[in-house]
This record gives sequence, structure tokens and C-alpha cells, in this order.
Amino acid sequence: MTRMTGMPVPEGDALTAFYWDGAAAGRLLVTRCVPHGHLSHPPEVSCPVCGSEEVVPVEVSGRGSVYSFTVVRQAFDPAFLAELPYVVALVELDEQPGLRVLTNIVECDVDAVEIGMAVEVTFEARDGTAIPQFRPGTS
Amino acid sequence: MNRSGRGVAIVGVGYSDVTRRGEPNVGTLTLAAAKGALDDAGLTARDVDAIVEYSFGFRGDSPMAVSAQRLLGIENLTMFNDLMGTGPSGLAGAMDASMAIASGACETALVYRTITRQAGHTGMMREGPVQAAGAAQFTAPYGYGGGIILAMAMRKRRRVAELGGSFEDYGHIALNARQWAALNPRALFREPITMDDYFASRSVADPLLLFDCDYPVNAACAAVLTTEERARDLRHAPVVVEALAYGTGKRADWLYADDFLFGGTVPCARALWSRTDLTAADVDVAELYDGFTHITISWLEALGLCGIGEFHDWVDAGARIGPGGSLPLNTYGGQLAAGRMHGLAFLTEAVEQLRGECGARQVPGAQVAVVSNAHGPQAGAVLLRAGE
Repeated sequence: MTRMTGMPVPEGDALTAFYWDGAAAGRLLVTRCVPHGHLSHPPEVSCPVCGSEEVVPVEVSGRGSVYSFTVVRQAFDPAFLAELPYVVALVELDEQPGLRVLTNIVECDVDAVEIGMAVEVTFEARDGTAIPQFRPGTS
Repeated sequence: MNRSGRGVAIVGVGYSDVTRRGEPNVGTLTLAAAKGALDDAGLTARDVDAIVEYSFGFRGDSPMAVSAQRLLGIENLTMFNDLMGTGPSGLAGAMDASMAIASGACETALVYRTITRQAGHTGMMREGPVQAAGAAQFTAPYGYGGGIILAMAMRKRRRVAELGGSFEDYGHIALNARQWAALNPRALFREPITMDDYFASRSVADPLLLFDCDYPVNAACAAVLTTEERARDLRHAPVVVEALAYGTGKRADWLYADDFLFGGTVPCARALWSRTDLTAADVDVAELYDGFTHITISWLEALGLCGIGEFHDWVDAGARIGPGGSLPLNTYGGQLAAGRMHGLAFLTEAVEQLRGECGARQVPGAQVAVVSNAHGPQAGAVLLRAGE
């Protein structure tokens, strides 16, 4: 039985279903353009690097490093009051410079998070969905 | 000047009262600023044939252009535009109107930004529904909220890690705002603060502090623009739009942009300077957006007023940008100390400086001013010079 949290869950659509389905299967996916292999996130109907509409999902390693982060101690959404303090971060994935995902850094003291810290993906089960999160890892 | 089209001048500026409480009517606020700007120009509503406004589209936000037209009893508009939530904040209306006047689409334009705490206090708003759709599906599940507050907190931390300097650099922007506000009777926070006060201010989203953020108010700000030719016959010496430019940067986005620290400010500045024979060295006064202190530092560096990553040394513990400094910055107190009129007040202050009408805060002999708004995917800047 899934824990019901009242926290926001993603409502995927035709463009993003692959991402959330992938997460539910324990895989982190991004978009790759066929002509050049540019990786991008979040999904769009074309590649934001070259504009090609030939884009396909591709699995990445889930390893990356903390590009920057903020420690949230005052909730902007009441659903997160019980989570305080928590870390919102941009993680740069190892596969391509500048390929970043917005996420939380979990399984780690908020005061231990640093820019450049190696992290790896983990998936939080939330109300029937899976949310990609990152925890300290090896790069 | 390297621009084509008719010359454009800013001929009137106006403000409503600025309040911190209550829910004033946005029509009343807009009328106060618009009539003030028209009076200042020596014009009446009958002279206006264009209106451009900027809003977020929330409750308690700028009325639409045709609403202002009705409130002012204007017969017809030959050009109007409602710029909703994108583009360079309140400055966007003046930029749009400048292009319309230069092209011949209209003669005399009223622009305004009206904002109330209800519309402007984005940090209080819940970001998304429990089912997060669209762009929010990649942010709301992470507790990412409060507009761009968390993005700005991450920029502040990243800048120091990547370019050096210290969090004190941000404090100098906050302290500077109060120094100038002390000289501006219209400003809200006219008491000086110390660096200790800055660091003691409440943490909003670590490392972002309360004093890194502007202050939401109920206010309207307006300007009147017309052709440079017509401006010569009006009440004040005209202030001429020397050049303007927008910038978005590659992969324009507040979170995922290629250039996370500077966004569109660098290409915007490059375009601005390419359109004029003036250079950064000619700037006498800078009015650069300070909705968050990071934005102001970005603009100073992007515009070449100091080198990229050099703000820490350049600012000279604040002396450089304060009263008597070689680059007076945000001389009305900015949004940090005079309230968040959302961008347009940087332009109107620059106009008043170039007219030499700023009293105790006047920058002696100011002839050239640079004005910028926003950051990230929606940067814009205008270069102004005192006309004849």
C-alpha cells in the first residue's frame, strides 16, 4: 500500500510520460537528439541545443555532481512543512556538461551538501509515483 | 547613435503613493502615476495614442492597456500592448513603446507598471496543485516554490564558488540601496544598515537573506515617451533613448539556462553596446535591477562596468557605487529600499538624474545613464543620454 503524503506528485503528459515511467522502473531518462546526440532535460518536442525534432529517450547513469543548491528552512508549499529543512539542488549529470536536473539531495545531512559533491540517483515512492532524487554517491 | 528609425525621448515620469499596507485600487494607482507623468511632460491624455503595460496577470496587478485608456478617457489607441509575465519587467513597456515610436506606429506613448503586494508577493503563493502538470511537474514535487527565489539562492551560492568573492559582495548592494534611499524622500527604508545587519537578516532560502530581496509594495510608476523631435517643444529637456537591447541567452530558462549565473544579461549588453558609439566608460549613473542582489552584480559585470568576476575588488567596500563614488548605482534606493515597482522606476530615476532634478541624491553633471531589468531568460537594457 502506497503512503499518501499530500505532497505534489507529477502529472505526466504525452511528452513526459517516458520520464516518469522510467522513474517508476528505477531508470533515469533524458532526451537525446538523434542527429547529434545532444542530451537535454526536461523533455521538449525538440532539442534545445540544435532544434532537431528527432528526439528520443535515453537512459543515463544517474551519476552527477551538485552544481548548486539551497537549503530550504521556510516552506513555500505547506505540504513540505514536515520535510524542513530540505535541500533543493541542480545536479549536473556526468554524461554531458550543462545537463542539469532539479532535484532534492536526500540521505544526507543538509549541512554536509557541497557544490561539486558526487551524487547518484535514487527514487522516492510517493503516492503511486516515483520521484528521482539524488544522494551522496561516487562519481 | 547607430539605430535606424525616428529618435525617441522620455518626456514625463510619474509615481503613485507607495504603501506597505492595504489593497488600493489598481486603477486609482495607475491614474495617479499616469497623470503625474503627463503633467510632468506638459501633456494631457488627449496627446496619448499608445499604451503599453506589463503585468503578471494576477489579481491586484497592472490594468490592461485598454482599461487605462478608458480610465483616462482616451478616444483611440493606434498602438497598444499587454506584456504578460515575460520580457524585462516594467522596463519592457518602455522598450516596446520606444520601438513603436521609432517605427512610426504611434507618436506619444504612456507606459506603466502597477503592482500591489497581493500580486507581487510571489513568495507567499503555493506553487502548484498536488497534481503538478506542465513545467511544474519537474519543480513542485521537489518543494521548489516562491517564484524564482530558490533559483536566485542557487545563483548566489554558485557565483561565489565559481567566480570567487564572498557573500559580503551581495551585502554591498543591500547597503548601497539604503545609503541612496536616505537621500530620497520617496524611498521606504531610509535608515542605513551595516554589514552585520545584512548578515543578521532572516534566511529566506540559504544562502539567500531577506536583505538580498526587494520589498513588495502597492505602487504604480509611469513614463511618457514621444519622438525626439516633439520632445524639444515640451516642458523638460528631453532624455533620449540612445540604444536598447534584449537578451535571453542559450537555452533560455531560469533553471536550465546554459549560462546559469548571467542568463541573458551578457548577450543583451553586447547588443546594447553594438548599437551606440558610447561605451561603458561613458556611463555616469547606473540603474540596474535589484529584485535580488545577484541580479545587480550580474548586470554590472555583463555591461562591462566592471570585469566578469571582478565585482568583489571593484566595489571597493561600497565606495565605488555610493554617493560620491565613480559609478553611482541605484540612486533612488532601488527596489531593495524604495519598494518593488517592478523595474520601471529604474528608468524614471535615470530620467530624473539626466535632467539634474534629483536634489540631494543628484549625480553631478550626469549625461549618460544605463538602465537594466530582469535577468535569466528575459533581460533588457536601455542606454539614455541627456538631450538638447
